[in-house]
Amino acid sequence: MKVSFPHMGNAYIALSALLSNLGAEVIIPPRPTQKTIEMGALHAPEFVCLPFKVNLGDNFQALSMGADTLAMVSGTWACRFGYYGRVQHQILRDAGFEFDSILLGRDGVGTVYNKFADTVDGNLALGWLRAFRSFRSKARAVDALEASAREVRPFERERGSTSDALSRSLSVVHESPSVKATGSALDRGMELMDAVEVERRGEPLHIAVLGEIYAVLEPSLNFDIERRLGEMGVVAHPVMSIYKWLFRPLKTDPSILVEERRARRVARPYIPYVLGGEEHQTITGTIDAARKRYDGVIHVFPFTCMPESVCRAILPRIEKEYDIPVLNLCLDEHASPTGIETRLEAFTDLLRQRRRKKPR
Amino acid sequence: MLTVGIPRALSYYRYFPFFKTMLEGLGTKVVLSKPTGKRLVEDGVRYCVDDICVPVKLYYGHVLELKDIVDRLFLTRLVSVEKCDSDTYTCPKLIGLPDMIRSSIEGLPPIIEFVVDIQNRSIHSSARRLGEMLDTPPALTRKALSRAIDVQARYEGKLLGGLTPEDAMSAAFSGNGSSGGVRAGSGDGPAPGLNVALVGHEYLLHDHFISHNLPSRLSRLGSCVTYMTEVPPDVIEAELARYPEISWSYEKELLGSASYFLHREDIDGVMLVMCFACGPDSIVGEIIEREVRTESSPPLMTLVLDEHAGQAGVATRVEAFVDLIRRSRRKS
Ligand code: SF4
Ligand code: SF4
Repeated sequence: MKVSFPHMGNAYIALSALLSNLGAEVIIPPRPTQKTIEMGALHAPEFVCLPFKVNLGDNFQALSMGADTLAMVSGTWACRFGYYGRVQHQILRDAGFEFDSILLGRDGVGTVYNKFADTVDGNLALGWLRAFRSFRSKARAVDALEASAREVRPFERERGSTSDALSRSLSVVHESPSVKATGSALDRGMELMDAVEVERRGEPLHIAVLGEIYAVLEPSLNFDIERRLGEMGVVAHPVMSIYKWLFRPLKTDPSILVEERRARRVARPYIPYVLGGEEHQTITGTIDAARKRYDGVIHVFPFTCMPESVCRAILPRIEKEYDIPVLNLCLDEHASPTGIETRLEAFTDLLRQRRRKKPR
Repeated sequence: MLTVGIPRALSYYRYFPFFKTMLEGLGTKVVLSKPTGKRLVEDGVRYCVDDICVPVKLYYGHVLELKDIVDRLFLTRLVSVEKCDSDTYTCPKLIGLPDMIRSSIEGLPPIIEFVVDIQNRSIHSSARRLGEMLDTPPALTRKALSRAIDVQARYEGKLLGGLTPEDAMSAAFSGNGSSGGVRAGSGDGPAPGLNVALVGHEYLLHDHFISHNLPSRLSRLGSCVTYMTEVPPDVIEAELARYPEISWSYEKELLGSASYFLHREDIDGVMLVMCFACGPDSIVGEIIEREVRTESSPPLMTLVLDEHAGQAGVATRVEAFVDLIRRSRRKS
């Protein structure tokens, strides 16, 4: 089985560990670029949200690289994500590709579980256990390394050195063949991050990055906002992470569940009902940013995103009530890196001015 | 008498007879905003976030229209509009609508929020809460509710009979019990028999300003118009069983009725009317095109509307479509 799935930040590292431990050959399409987006947009419904188009582009590339199975999560939620797999796979079949679909959430757990009966090496249950352990340790390692890069980057002496160290660390983790090896790969990665030369230059700006999950976590969509901010000397605090995104639906980590529940509670005065996206994280994340005395918030979301459009209407009120500046970045396939750069610069200038007037 | 303003948008098209009867039964005077016009759209657009679907912008416009002339503003939160065994929601924007309005418009009169969440809460309990908000004795609320349910049932019966919401409402309010009435499209057009089915959100199709009078445009071109609201719920149910499940209730009706029309002989063409930037439409439109339509289906056309769609553009597309189905009928 040659299986592939769409990109979501560095999630591929954990996901390919999972699948390869189940005996599947994993096809990882190149990280999405403008070309991927264009390819997806060409075949996607016109005003579907942008992540759909990027994912579709990823799938096209994977199939042309020889994938014979495409995996995607799926469900019947109020937002569109649950239908991505179904519609994308139909579009690809209509375009003439033949492949097998794994729609996690729509195919029952048993079906997905047994899918790997022929590929797994040895006992199926043990294979899943091994796969899960490896999946978890890699997801955690990715999170730890990304977090460390966020702390170091605003102070790096040489521009880009943090990102270089990060990508080297991540590939060591990606290539580690066992849970134990992932542990030492993480140590090695942390050493690389520590070795980045830094210089202190006063207290940097702190900005929370929140909004639609894919827009927050996928650099090709958000123009690598974390890196951009870091290289502008700003500490970015994304509200979500790959680990949380992967483990939230599995409900195996109580701390994530507690945090989710708290976010719902804090957001309740503004949005009492569930909208099916990250709306609670967006609202609560903005309030938290104010309470933690961050300098500002960047709200990123794809054009036409439903839950985040609702948030977009509510955020100005929170901005006022909590006195925290919010920058809205609505992303579509026509957004340009220079446009984003200009807006980020203007926003950070504004925040610096505020800082001068009103020190933290 | 306390005046309560109801925006002529979104939930209005589905539930106005219920809301009006209920509120009047509770001793208030209902004020309905004027039909959509140019200035109203501009106001809505100004207050609303950019890049949102036009029906929500219109809702903003209607709220602004009412804001200074009523004592209370009646806002609806449509969470679920049916009871069923599986997940069912409207759309995130309809669920969050009152939250958006509250946060973006200042100086609103006190709000009466009415939650329609049939999956989790009976209409009786929503009505009771409304009675409490207006401080009316429970007996009065009960009476108002039972009348409101009657009028609403009459309204839905008229819709099933083929009337437009507007006509169905006046029939329902006048208590006219006879079924039928004049069907919107069955005028004295030159080519009787041509029959176009309209599939799309009722709050889009029947807002004359945004749809550029689509239904009457079709009848002027000599076509009968069959509305999706004529398809009985059990038929929709049966059609839906042919496809993998979806959970958006409005979209279920779109999918079910489109499937029904696309498999019928007496329908000459199906127009799928979608709103630009509508989330659910973008997915279900694709499902209809790819999973529902077959080789032998009548012609299907997708018309995307927003506040920028010019009258001339819509007219041309509709004419071209009617021409196309005339030609394809002559051939068969
Ligand atoms: S959250 Fe927004 S962008 Fe993501 S799938 Fe839903 S509507 Fe699309
Ligand atoms: S269903 Fe579509 S048109 Fe209706 S409110 Fe939601 S996004 Fe807008």
